[in-house]
Amino acid sequence: MLSSPTVRTSLIFVAVALISLLFADIAITASNPWRDLGNFFLGVLTPNFFSSEGLMTALLRTVAFAFVGVALGSVCGFLLSLVYRFLPVRIFCAFIRAIHELFWALIFLQFFGFHPLTGVLAIAIPYSGIFAKVYSEILDEADPEPGRLLPPGTGTIAAFLYTRIPDCWVQLRTYTAYRLECGLRSSAILGFVGLPTLGFYLESSFSQGLYSDAGAMLILFYVLIATMPLWVKPKILPVYILGAPFFLGEGLPIVWGNVERFFTEDIVPSPLRDGEGLAGLIPWFNDLMINEAMPGIWNTVILTQIALVATGILTLLAFPLISNHFGGPVRRTSGHVFLVIARSTPEYILAYILLQLWGPSMLPAVVALALHNGGIIGHLIGRQTNGIRLRPDAPTGFNRYSWELVPRVYRSFLAFLFYRWEIIMRETAILGILGIYTLGFYVDSAIQNIRFDRAMVLILITALLNIGIDALGRYIRRKLALQTMPTC
Amino acid sequence: MSGFDLSGLTASFGGERVIGPLSLTVKQGEQVALVGKSGAGKSTLIRLIHERVNRESSLVPQDLGLVNALPVFHNVFMGQLDKHTTWYNTLTLIRPFSRNRDEVRELLRALGMAEKLWLPTASLSGGQRQRVAIARALYRNAPVLLADEPISALDGPMAHLVMELLKERFQTSVIALHDVEMALKYCSRIVGIQDGQVALDESSKRLTATDITSLY
Amino acid sequence: MALNLIRKLMFSSLFCFTAATASAETFVFTAIPDEDETKLVERFKGVADYLSQELDVEVRYIPVKSYAAAVSAFRNNQVQLAWFGGLSGVQARRLVPGSEAIAQGVEDEAFQTYFIANTSTGIENAEELSALEEELKGKTFTFGSKGSTSGRLMPEFYIRDVFGAQPEEFFSRVGFSGNHTRTLRLVEAGTYQVGALNFQVWEKELADGNIDTDAVQVIWETPPYPDYQWTIRGDVNERFGDGFKERVTEALLNLDDQALLESFPRSGFIPASNDDYEPIRKTAEEIGILD
Repeated sequence: MLSSPTVRTSLIFVAVALISLLFADIAITASNPWRDLGNFFLGVLTPNFFSSEGLMTALLRTVAFAFVGVALGSVCGFLLSLVYRFLPVRIFCAFIRAIHELFWALIFLQFFGFHPLTGVLAIAIPYSGIFAKVYSEILDEADPEPGRLLPPGTGTIAAFLYTRIPDCWVQLRTYTAYRLECGLRSSAILGFVGLPTLGFYLESSFSQGLYSDAGAMLILFYVLIATMPLWVKPKILPVYILGAPFFLGEGLPIVWGNVERFFTEDIVPSPLRDGEGLAGLIPWFNDLMINEAMPGIWNTVILTQIALVATGILTLLAFPLISNHFGGPVRRTSGHVFLVIARSTPEYILAYILLQLWGPSMLPAVVALALHNGGIIGHLIGRQTNGIRLRPDAPTGFNRYSWELVPRVYRSFLAFLFYRWEIIMRETAILGILGIYTLGFYVDSAIQNIRFDRAMVLILITALLNIGIDALGRYIRRKLALQTMPTC
Repeated sequence: MSGFDLSGLTASFGGERVIGPLSLTVKQGEQVALVGKSGAGKSTLIRLIHERVNRESSLVPQDLGLVNALPVFHNVFMGQLDKHTTWYNTLTLIRPFSRNRDEVRELLRALGMAEKLWLPTASLSGGQRQRVAIARALYRNAPVLLADEPISALDGPMAHLVMELLKERFQTSVIALHDVEMALKYCSRIVGIQDGQVALDESSKRLTATDITSLY
Repeated sequence: MALNLIRKLMFSSLFCFTAATASAETFVFTAIPDEDETKLVERFKGVADYLSQELDVEVRYIPVKSYAAAVSAFRNNQVQLAWFGGLSGVQARRLVPGSEAIAQGVEDEAFQTYFIANTSTGIENAEELSALEEELKGKTFTFGSKGSTSGRLMPEFYIRDVFGAQPEEFFSRVGFSGNHTRTLRLVEAGTYQVGALNFQVWEKELADGNIDTDAVQVIWETPPYPDYQWTIRGDVNERFGDGFKERVTEALLNLDDQALLESFPRSGFIPASNDDYEPIRKTAEEIGILD
């Protein structure tokens, strides 16, 4: 067993996480966390749907931003996927998707302000990068045979439309629909930085302890996502997409001079702006690296590694909940509900809730990341086990779990986990905005102090770190010959 | 040109030569049947010929090469993508022009499946799919037909109907067939392939089924 | 069918993005989100109504989620007037040449920060912060917002000044609650043992009976310093007509709706100038928040 490369890799990661735990700040500082948690669940059970007249508007805006952002992202991503084989395009896409939606929103807020464009671009830009990558992977998988049979002289575009697109259409559509769900989550959390989506009201209600209001918002959000197959129909999709831009809200007018100022002044490192030249730049950069970037990177990496392993453990615990090989329909239904809630709640909102209840430390972040990501992978793995046909005399109970199922799904489990490694890191960085000392904390501090030059350098560092982890994750998956489909 | 004269045809798989070197001359108006046991290199030869005479040929490959997600109409129409502008093709993808619809329907009627015009290809049976690929080749209407076992999934009467149609529409053709009777009936010349070489090359009038069976 | 879907893709990709914009004549203002949002919205909707009546233009209040967002909106000319704290006002006026502090609350001339502690710590009220050094060391501590004057700048200044250490060195854990109300709730609940907040928020919540004084109490009061003020952009006259700035100032100084003033809570507004906030600027530079 220990000689198997997958097991060895897993053990190395568990060891790294255990060492990270020694350095991590894990604590519950609230004096009565269980009472608060109880109050919160009481709030969810007694939702108040009529708290704020803004609630319905917020839901509408959440959907509108998701539609416009994802539609724009998918069109741009599709165009990029056509030229994805060129290295500069690949690097560009890796870069724009390495920066989280919230960071993009924080950047655009500085010069577009509260204009709808801020929210739309915050979703569309990183999504373009992701769409470009996944679309190009899907298109590469298309059956090349019909293309070869076309009459010579057939135009490139006609050939593409007749042979590649129809073959990939179902996958492209499925993936885009899946991304729309992700887009709803992204759109919701944009409210936390001030855009008029659900997060805006959720944050207000939560911080005031209005758990019944917050519960109502969460419930509406789950219903919105769970009923997507009912209201997102191919036939009415164009109506949504054409209509959505009109429901983004008014915001405030863009002052274009601000855009120029942002790029020519704000993000220029202050020593250069003040004419101190390169001599001033080095101490500025050193100070930034030592006091902000390094601690930020350290905490981000530690938290990521712990959260990754926690996600793995939770997945292994959670997938039997929805597997046909265990339990009856009641258990499976409640398992489904649990996993739907875990994966539909954006990790940012989960972390925010847990931070309010347990007080600040890395613990709420670890639990939030594990719940959300474990929910996603657990769902996929559980579904995969349903495709496994066991021999009639297969063992039952824990033996079935450990001898029949886990060995069969372990490779794809690892594949998903390593695929999400980079995503977990991107999320970890962003959770810093909530007060955990990861890179996002320092980015947020720089922005709060109106030091966009510092914020930009820190965002760039975050992006590079993500690209590095992404490459490492891909390297490990290739080494172990693990294949997976994309998740978000 | 509608006949062709090819020499030095060779193909190797994994370092081992499977075809040739051989030469093949096909004159306009000749209908050549390639016969031989499976693995003799008939498919490879068809592919080699296609590579050389691409522009002039309508091809029916053994694995058909259909776009499963598209309806029958579009799979057939694909045979003439080179004859129209990109705009025309794109519009056709969204809403076919009635002229093309009629042409394709006519072809399918001849193949006994006019009612399948708008069904997705993925939902068809093996024989129907084969006829779609044949319809595509007919619609392409090139001077030379290259077909690899075009009737392998068709039942008796339908196989005859298709062969009749191919004979009527294409003056020049090279068709790989394992059914010797069919080859003798519908082709003017029989080329037998054995171990990647031409082992037999005669007018079908001068051959009987037993002459050919020795190749198997 | 794939055909249908492709058709739809084509139509839907032709969608156009129309950006609705607010009318240019609307006078927009914002405020730092230093308290619970419902309170802010209620308060500033009242101010918007009052100003729109006095000034004869449409006036709109925009809620924001952070101090920096308020400063950015002001700087980007998306709002023309703002209710800033001492520090955010200094930041904003540095970034927008020509902008002016026009009015402050009566109480803002001598504002204070209260240090509060959960009673489980056993820390008692003291005259001098230095007297609490032993007891405070190693406790958990929360500021308000990162950009707050009374919730961050001044308490951090005194912590550094009196204890000679950075807050994160002196305390075992340092957090930023986000706003004053939340600081109060977190310390009351014991999530943090000690915190620092705007004294007006404390006094108002206390008067309203919203504080469990068995759970949390004031342990130290800072010396007074200047804080909140209304700041207006220098270019409003060009946009809204000559004398507009004076009319806004006038309207704010004349505000005497008791309920509205109560909600701030301020007893009234008095004139202010940029120079009043020099001490804040110096303090911010000293602790490195301002370059």
